[in-house]
Amino acid sequence: MTEIFSTLFGQNDSQPATGPAALGFGPGKPPQLGGSPPGNPSRRCRQTKRRWRLRFQDSSGMRGLRCENPNCPVNTDLTGNTNLITHYSLEHAFNKFCGKKVKEKLSNFLPELPGMIDCPGIQDGSSLRSLIEKPPVCGNSFSPLTGALLTGFRLHTGPLPEQYRLMHIQPPKKKSKNKYRHHRPQDPLPPETPSDSDPKKKKKKRDDDPDRKKKKKDKKKKKNRHSPDHPGLTGSQPNSLR
Amino acid sequence: MAEKFDNLEEHLEKFVENIRQLGIIVSDFQPSSQTGLNQKLNFMITGLQDVEKCRQQLHDINVPLEVFEYIDQGRNPQLYTKECLERALAKNEQVKGKIDTLTKFKSLLISELGKVFPEEMAKYKAIHGDDPPS
Repeated sequence: MTEIFSTLFGQNDSQPATGPAALGFGPGKPPQLGGSPPGNPSRRCRQTKRRWRLRFQDSSGMRGLRCENPNCPVNTDLTGNTNLITHYSLEHAFNKFCGKKVKEKLSNFLPELPGMIDCPGIQDGSSLRSLIEKPPVCGNSFSPLTGALLTGFRLHTGPLPEQYRLMHIQPPKKKSKNKYRHHRPQDPLPPETPSDSDPKKKKKKRDDDPDRKKKKKDKKKKKNRHSPDHPGLTGSQPNSLR
Repeated sequence: MAEKFDNLEEHLEKFVENIRQLGIIVSDFQPSSQTGLNQKLNFMITGLQDVEKCRQQLHDINVPLEVFEYIDQGRNPQLYTKECLERALAKNEQVKGKIDTLTKFKSLLISELGKVFPEEMAKYKAIHGDDPPS
């Protein structure tokens, strides 16, 4: 991609210099006239130029090739003839964004952000546009919650209803450590609180990476229980061959 | 300048992680989780305080609104930067083409006028200087 603008703008070296001198526009040198009027030098110069214009017009019937409009834009050194990306030292940025393929999804830009961030924000009301159109109430200071306020956060025990569980489901990641769960959305890490009584929770916990080792141990324990040489219920002792 | 962004990024990452853990606790709440929940709620408030402090350092940072549209659509905001650069290059090339075309036209016009109005063009060149034909 850098070759595109380098070849395009590489012709500037052989081209004549830009600016008013090359383009031929701009204030030229008026011919010297005898008997210049007295008074202010700038006024004298303007009057001289006006006379020159009239003479030029009268002799040939053709108006001079110069811009007489006082509102003409001022000639600047920086024009479209210059490679602006090079001028503003943006080659690195250009190669970074345009040279390589930029991934489409937002999750590629923020891989560590949890949740389904690739979905449009309008669907779940989490769009930034709504935040701009309806800004939240600001100005109040953040103060920690007191004991009385925290009593409002006493929750019912048990799992969330099905309709709210989807919020914690993350999109399937390509580089998942566990090869057997690449087709399932990953559930969040289990909480630290003991909640191993329900069989459904056991099934969910089997899908998590940290608990997989525990399940392997459980399977081994079960195998040991079914064997006639099982020492006890704990099953932590290694099998002993008799 | 990068330090200001690093500081804010760090605070936001901690905040998001705290919220994520809060969601895990809430997803399967137990009575013994109450103290942890309260702690996470207060961490959330201190996290917001930290982000509020970072705001003063970044008051001069301007974000184009078009980027928000990309984010709302679930697209990578770097695509906006990429498209800006591509549009700038395309416009640059377009304007350079116009300049080159007008330069060629000007030299061609001078040469043709020199053929039709040789005396007048001689006067013109005497005033403006000799323009080399392209």
